Amino acid sequence: MADRIEVFDRRLLRQRRERAVATLAAHDFLFAEVATRLVDRLADIRRDFSTALDLGCHTGFIAKAAEGLPAGKIGTLFQADLSPRMAAAARSNADIPTLAADEEYLPFRDAGLDLILSCASLHFVNDLPGALIQIQRALKPDGVFLAALFGGATLTELRQAWLAAETSLEGGAGPRVAPFADLSDAAGLLQRAGFAMPVADSDTITVTYDNPLKLMSDLRGMGETNVLIERRRTPTRRATLTAVAEHYMAQFGGDDGRAPATFQILYLTGWAPAEGQPQALKPGSATSRLADIFDTPEQSAGEKAGPR
Amino acid sequence: MATQNRAAVDPKLLEILVCPLTKGPLRYDEAKQELISQKAGLAYPIRDGIPIMLVDEARELNPDETPSTASG
Repeated sequence: MADRIEVFDRRLLRQRRERAVATLAAHDFLFAEVATRLVDRLADIRRDFSTALDLGCHTGFIAKAAEGLPAGKIGTLFQADLSPRMAAAARSNADIPTLAADEEYLPFRDAGLDLILSCASLHFVNDLPGALIQIQRALKPDGVFLAALFGGATLTELRQAWLAAETSLEGGAGPRVAPFADLSDAAGLLQRAGFAMPVADSDTITVTYDNPLKLMSDLRGMGETNVLIERRRTPTRRATLTAVAEHYMAQFGGDDGRAPATFQILYLTGWAPAEGQPQALKPGSATSRLADIFDTPEQSAGEKAGPR
Repeated sequence: MATQNRAAVDPKLLEILVCPLTKGPLRYDEAKQELISQKAGLAYPIRDGIPIMLVDEARELNPDETPSTASG
């Protein structure tokens, strides 16, 4: 544990979440939208889940989105959030069992849950592979993990505007926007954590704001501002903030004078391993030729795949 | 069900919880509203029916708080 690499200040994140309880309702459309999209994907999985957990529940967006699911899709839903105050808010919004838990130290016994959902929370976990292993172990065999988290292209405009403003005004730039996971890493992470049939895909939500300062105030209201350990500890100067807004609008501002902000959402799906799950066939094990099926001459593509 | 105490912790939730530090079993102390991990020497508080499974919110057990039965 001593040599863990810490990127995010989890204590600060918790404080941000605690504080955001009061403001989130006015800034929650992105969380609500992502939760709806996540639950849509759940609806596509043709089985019911007797126990499910929303890991990183904020004020309960999954519970709200899940109201539209057919009865019996989810038997019992549990909710967990890093912030006890957020958990309390989630429980008062929907009277379902809720706890406070840290995604890095999950308090769930092995093979106890049928489904774990997570909406826009896992992007601030220091040890994502470690968290995914714990999630996989908490699932029953053939249990499902379905998560949405912010991906690498998220807030790319803001990242670039900060860099430009700080380099020109202060002669150096500090990290302002978190290093989110990339889509290309996501399926591999699931596989490393022992998930069967890992799937990762992404979509992009572009939100337009009156100006970049509105975006920053939205992030603050969501409890999503900088929690990087290597963040600058000095207060941001007014001039720098103005310069950020100017760079932002000069580079990315729309013809309508508004500021677009990109949020890339990664969707991760994986199954806890179980007997009888579909397995990928070994290369070269086919018993019929595609060329025969399509009634066309076979075109060699080079080396034949051999058994390994 | 309508009169169920909102502050009570859900029994189904208790069934799946373990100590986040040791992944060992927890003992539910209903009077004190705590979940006790003997192995970690920690008591996790339950506030208004919400188990707070965070190590830095847990109370360290006193040496005299030994388990009545040897377990964990």
